[in-house]
Amino acid sequence: MWSYVARRVLYNIPIYLVIVMVVMVMLRINDPVTAYLSKNATEAERSLKEAEFGLDQPFMVQYLDMLKSIVTFDFSTKSWYQETNTVGEIITPSILPSLKITLPSLALSTFISIVVGLIAAVNRGRLIDRGLMFVAVVGMSISFLVFIILGQYFGAYWLNGKVGTEIFAIRYDADRMTGFFVADWIKFYLLPVMISVVVSMGYDTRFYRTVIVEQTNADYIRTAKAKGCSQRRVMFRHLLRNAMIPIITRVMITMPFLIVGSLLLEVYFSIPGMGKTLLTHMTNKDFAVTQAIVAILAALFILSNILTDVLYAIVDPRVRLA
Amino acid sequence: MLKRALFGFVALFTIGAAPAATLAAVAQDEKVIPAVMPTDGPRTLDPVRGSTTYDNMGCAQVYETLLQVSYYDNQRFEPQLLAELPTRLEDGKRYRFRLRDDVYFQNDECFPGGKGRKLTTDDVFYSWKRIADPANGLKNWWLLEDAIVGLEVPAEGVGFDYDAPVAGFVKISDTEFEVELTRPVFRFLWVLTMFQTSVVPREAVEHYGSDFGAHPVGTGPYVLDEWIPKQRLTFNRNPDYYECYYPAAELWSEEDRKKGLADAAGQRLPIADRIEFAMIIEEQPRFLEFKQGNLAWLELPFTYFGELFSPRTKRMNRESRKAGYQYRSVLVLDMIFRAFNMEDPIVGGYTPDKIALRKAMAYAIDHDEFNEVFYKGLCVQYDGPIPPTLDGHPENHRVEGAPRGPDLPKARALLAEAGYPNGEGLPAIRFYTNSSSVNAKMMDLLRRQLGEIGVKLDAQMVDFSQLIELTNKKQAPMFSFAWLSDYPDAENNLALFYSKNVSPGSNHWNYSRPEFDELYERAIVLEPGEERTALYVQMRDMVIADVPMVGSLARNRYYVWQPWLMNARPTPRFWSWFKFLDVDESKR
Repeated sequence: MWSYVARRVLYNIPIYLVIVMVVMVMLRINDPVTAYLSKNATEAERSLKEAEFGLDQPFMVQYLDMLKSIVTFDFSTKSWYQETNTVGEIITPSILPSLKITLPSLALSTFISIVVGLIAAVNRGRLIDRGLMFVAVVGMSISFLVFIILGQYFGAYWLNGKVGTEIFAIRYDADRMTGFFVADWIKFYLLPVMISVVVSMGYDTRFYRTVIVEQTNADYIRTAKAKGCSQRRVMFRHLLRNAMIPIITRVMITMPFLIVGSLLLEVYFSIPGMGKTLLTHMTNKDFAVTQAIVAILAALFILSNILTDVLYAIVDPRVRLA
Repeated sequence: MLKRALFGFVALFTIGAAPAATLAAVAQDEKVIPAVMPTDGPRTLDPVRGSTTYDNMGCAQVYETLLQVSYYDNQRFEPQLLAELPTRLEDGKRYRFRLRDDVYFQNDECFPGGKGRKLTTDDVFYSWKRIADPANGLKNWWLLEDAIVGLEVPAEGVGFDYDAPVAGFVKISDTEFEVELTRPVFRFLWVLTMFQTSVVPREAVEHYGSDFGAHPVGTGPYVLDEWIPKQRLTFNRNPDYYECYYPAAELWSEEDRKKGLADAAGQRLPIADRIEFAMIIEEQPRFLEFKQGNLAWLELPFTYFGELFSPRTKRMNRESRKAGYQYRSVLVLDMIFRAFNMEDPIVGGYTPDKIALRKAMAYAIDHDEFNEVFYKGLCVQYDGPIPPTLDGHPENHRVEGAPRGPDLPKARALLAEAGYPNGEGLPAIRFYTNSSSVNAKMMDLLRRQLGEIGVKLDAQMVDFSQLIELTNKKQAPMFSFAWLSDYPDAENNLALFYSKNVSPGSNHWNYSRPEFDELYERAIVLEPGEERTALYVQMRDMVIADVPMVGSLARNRYYVWQPWLMNARPTPRFWSWFKFLDVDESKR
């Protein structure tokens, strides 16, 4: 098992090195200093900024510097946009707020979608299956933004007006925090989480239903039924276990996005997470933060790929031998 | 089970609400202004490193400039840190300044014993020298470049010597000094109203080093309480703020007096105890927070105009009036235009055929349609480069004979005169603009309008840095920009046509007319008055006749505020007006 893990890690190192290089090249195609300084910047200002940010160095020196900071987790470069903070100081506090939305969203939407997928698959072709899939398709067809706009309007503004007290906040506000974790989470994060769950359920339910339907036609299910297993046992003991590979794949694909957060939700609810941070610093031509976040994101993708492979190997020992 | 769950939910809210209620009771007497920045807030609170509106908003609460834009009349300036307006000497080549002698820096650990010291002449010189220091990024060097005798950016690799004397800085005493200019330029005084020239103490800059931008120490009405970047920025009243008062009743216009703006005359500043800025990027949460009463005022986004106003009459609707909202519309010193590169072999040049070609396009472009489609009809269309409210702006926004579309027969006739009947023989004109979804739609509209006379556009949506690079290198035949004046003086806009500023300078259309230059050089040394305005008008008309640009449009901003916010007269021209605001709790 460990040699398998080591092999996966070694395979991915050169991929990561290439990704970082490509990212760095792409971010330099349009001169980042010109973009940052905007109109009317003088040549002196430009060269000054280039020197300040190390962009006057040969590309390979910049590349090695970047790799060094990733390996040592040293993101002490100053941000271009928020000049008083380092890249690390900007990224680190953004991770937790993102996780407060994405982790519960992922857990809830995966759990609910699997359950709904199971119900639909068991009742395949019947009214309940059609009804659930119709709702899922409708949910998928509506833009995420519509859910957010309506969710925020009715879930926060309208509901607060009706009830006369603030159940869900229109936006995150540290001033209105109470200090009680659960109460604050409900007030500032539950509504975005619910919106996120509703949105992802459309896609997830259809996906899990398909996976489960595929498994229900497999021979081992027929065998289990022939042995006299109950429907519940067939579903949870046999079917769900064998459906784990596609489920793991789907969950693991979303892992890097747990850190990056849900950009739109964070922007609309003013949640100081990674998505909002990335958007802010990109739109403000903050080359230092953008480059670091993209490199971290690439690393997370690689890590989640490795982790996925390891999980495959755990749930299906045949994978290790391949 | 359900009951238990409900009980738990309610209990959580009760627990959560209790401390908040207690806090509210404690702070009940405090006058708090909950404000908003429609962005992620300032990048820095160091004036010389700042440049955006939001840097300005943050800095202006803590720092002060020698002069300030008058609250009751945004076209004027008045002393702030000065005891009186500067004295003009040697026909404006030299100014004498006298500082107030009761101004102290805010208490801070950077001072011995943590006690803020008195503001002196040396602080002013030190603060302005910082603008020329490459270590501060030179972002605002354009404000003082070539303005003060002896104030120069050191050669590359040489550090700025703050102790070296500058010939143009003449210290008379701790509160009096003179500044010698390289030439008599009136705009220098406007520059002294800009937040980048705020006075900072050397001790704080040296004490905090590269973190100075997060530890502002000024003389202003408020002291920084907390700054969580991208979330909130709060200020508390400066308890040691020097004696200054709300503008006297006679200074206010009759209209403002009727609105009650003069009622607070004579009150000691600042009036409110605390300012709390929230950073809310998206329009919907911003608008909903305002409606819910969590924000004192709001710059109304175009998208929500119809929610509070009648789109037809542009007046507040009944529901908003019933809610007691107040509003003010302010014409921004804006210049939205389509530009030509005057050095381009096809669209550039000063010969009659080239001018006819540009005029033909000007007559084909319908800015009213742009206004309706993209700005809900809230913009003002005007002829020439001088925005509304400034000296030299045409009466009723129109100049007789200025090429204003749509007049398609005239456009077609001019196109034929230029040698391209119905656009035949005219190659597609390359037009550059910044890539965004709105600009893409604007480009479609422009393409259709010009297509009606047979002019084809080769539209290029590029990254902003590319757009700048192309215009700097004079490679964009036609392009689109907007210019927001830095100060309320048309000189700021007319400088864009001065030949010494051609690309890579701010004269991106590379307009070059010796007659224009001569008028400009004569105008900049004059004080406001009829003579100067006459020169502005001549320059304006020269630009209109040569058509280096088609335009312009100026946006109208609508500010709305809660019935409980008093003394509000929001303006985007300067941001230190929070010290005048008051809160009437009885109206909440």
